[in-house]
Amino acid sequence: MNLHADKAESSPRRSFVKASLFFIGGLINTVIAVPLLGFAILPALRNKPRKFVVLGIVDLLKGSRYKKVNYTFQSKDGWVKTNKKRSVYVTDTGNGNFVVFSRVCSHLNCLVRWEESKRQFLCPCHGGVFDEEGDVVEGPPPKALERLPVKVEDGVLYVKET
Amino acid sequence: MKRKIVEFFEERIPLRSIEEHMKKPLPRHINWMFSLGAMALFLLVLQAATGAFLAIYYSPSPDHAYNSLTYIRNEVPFGNFIRGLHHWGASALVIVVFLHLLRVVIYDSYKAPRELTWLVGVLLLLVVLGFGFTGYLLPWDQKAYWATVVGAKIASTVPIIGDAVGKILRGGEEVGAVTLARFYAIHTIWLPWIVFGLVGLHLLLVRHLGSSGLPKNSPEDMDTGKPFYPNQLFEDGVAILILFSVLVAMALVVPVPTEEIADPTDASYDPRPEWYFLFLFQLLKYFEGPLEVFGTFVIPTVAILLLFLVPFLSRKERLPIRKRPVALTITSLSVLSLVSLTILGIRSPKLNSTATAAPETEQTEAPSSAGTEVFDFRLEEGD
Ligand code: HEM
Ligand code: FES
Repeated sequence: MNLHADKAESSPRRSFVKASLFFIGGLINTVIAVPLLGFAILPALRNKPRKFVVLGIVDLLKGSRYKKVNYTFQSKDGWVKTNKKRSVYVTDTGNGNFVVFSRVCSHLNCLVRWEESKRQFLCPCHGGVFDEEGDVVEGPPPKALERLPVKVEDGVLYVKET
Repeated sequence: MKRKIVEFFEERIPLRSIEEHMKKPLPRHINWMFSLGAMALFLLVLQAATGAFLAIYYSPSPDHAYNSLTYIRNEVPFGNFIRGLHHWGASALVIVVFLHLLRVVIYDSYKAPRELTWLVGVLLLLVVLGFGFTGYLLPWDQKAYWATVVGAKIASTVPIIGDAVGKILRGGEEVGAVTLARFYAIHTIWLPWIVFGLVGLHLLLVRHLGSSGLPKNSPEDMDTGKPFYPNQLFEDGVAILILFSVLVAMALVVPVPTEEIADPTDASYDPRPEWYFLFLFQLLKYFEGPLEVFGTFVIPTVAILLLFLVPFLSRKERLPIRKRPVALTITSLSVLSLVSLTILGIRSPKLNSTATAAPETEQTEAPSSAGTEVFDFRLEEGD
């Protein structure tokens, strides 16, 4: 490296060029990074309002004891209009009241099954066990099975969308 | 004529110095385990090639993914073979990368000045597992769906930001069309770019620092072994050929496990992850209630952090493994626990056989005035 270049290394002009270079790089990166992150992340964080959806006709569910009911409701999955499928256990507690247990294990979201002989809900994944009240008996699940909010209107049983 | 052509290129490309580079002698006593890195690289390229072709037919939407794979399997010539190679190649990659890591530990190759090579290596390991996780969803069958449901929920158990992490991963509150699209993008665009960037860095470091050879090597041993080209490359080639033959046999003989199409309500399905995540599946069973986060977050995170720190936590001098009691103990115990957890995971009882089928009810017919949003589902039947 010759003397001339050495001088230029520390000249104010050289440091201005360097600073500008970093500025240009930083500017382009920020202007593109912020929208890109928002694009990828923000739609995922939106909370959808939960509506009541039809579970079934009350007359047909009368006397149910931990009866597994699969139901569908129309909803949107991203850009797809779809029939979402859900599965729950329905128990008729009399006087037109129903308890609806979500089958989604409170541990890591596998679907529990009602085992009539043991009167327990068993999870097929990591051995979670819940009693007839949906409370944890055994295994990793940190909390009870969710009871879905229900309402009865005009002979139809509705549950809160999940 | 031939000389003319060679000259033409020599004047334009630094062929000579490339050749010099390739012929550089390696340390003495290098054995077959030093081919594991090259084997991993080969598998990565094989995955890229087979994957690029699978993508010609694959359709990343819940309505079509499963059928597009059925089409690949049943109607596209060589479909089963290409898919088999990609499927078994993925498992082989995990195994080979893991063995490569073990060889680096056994020969104490991660120590100064190769700490950065190790760091980039750990990142590569994580990316390889990321490929496995995102690729597992793509067939959109039962195991795909449920493994992702569980995997995303694991991410949601991260303290404080967990809920957001889970949603960002899924692209929303549940596994669906948005999840499949982003897993496909990550699997086929993001991770390949990242992995080849990291591999480039890894190899640059390996080449710049030279192979570490064996701890017992004397300084003279370091550059008096066989040359990289053609001798080492030939040995790499033999190892790769053996590996490739095994994969071809697997792809031809062992069908890729395929299940029913994903069903979020299936009563009888026992979710299990891919075999190389079974250790985690099993580990999760041991942490109950509020301790859950230890299995899902604390232990994996600490393990990964420790893995990154390995070169900085160990002493400076290089020794054969039998003279490093601490390293030997930790390594053996880690391998032992991974293997035992995996075996326990494989043998973990399924509910399927025990549960009595409960009476099932499909949704009872609902009045059309139901308070749900009504969309028009009819397909536009154009003419
Ligand atoms: C896709 C994954 C990977 C690829 C393609 C890859 C490739 C390679 C190759 C070709 C070499 C030189 C040949 C050899 O020593 O085997 C190498 C060396 C090395 N790799 Fe990897 N590697 C990968 C993952 C890893 C991982 C997971 C680690 C450790 C955490 C790691 C740590 C190292 C180290 C420290 C060296 C230098 C070894 C020495 O100089 O003796 N690599 N890698
Ligand atoms: S998901 Fe039910 S026990 Fe883990």
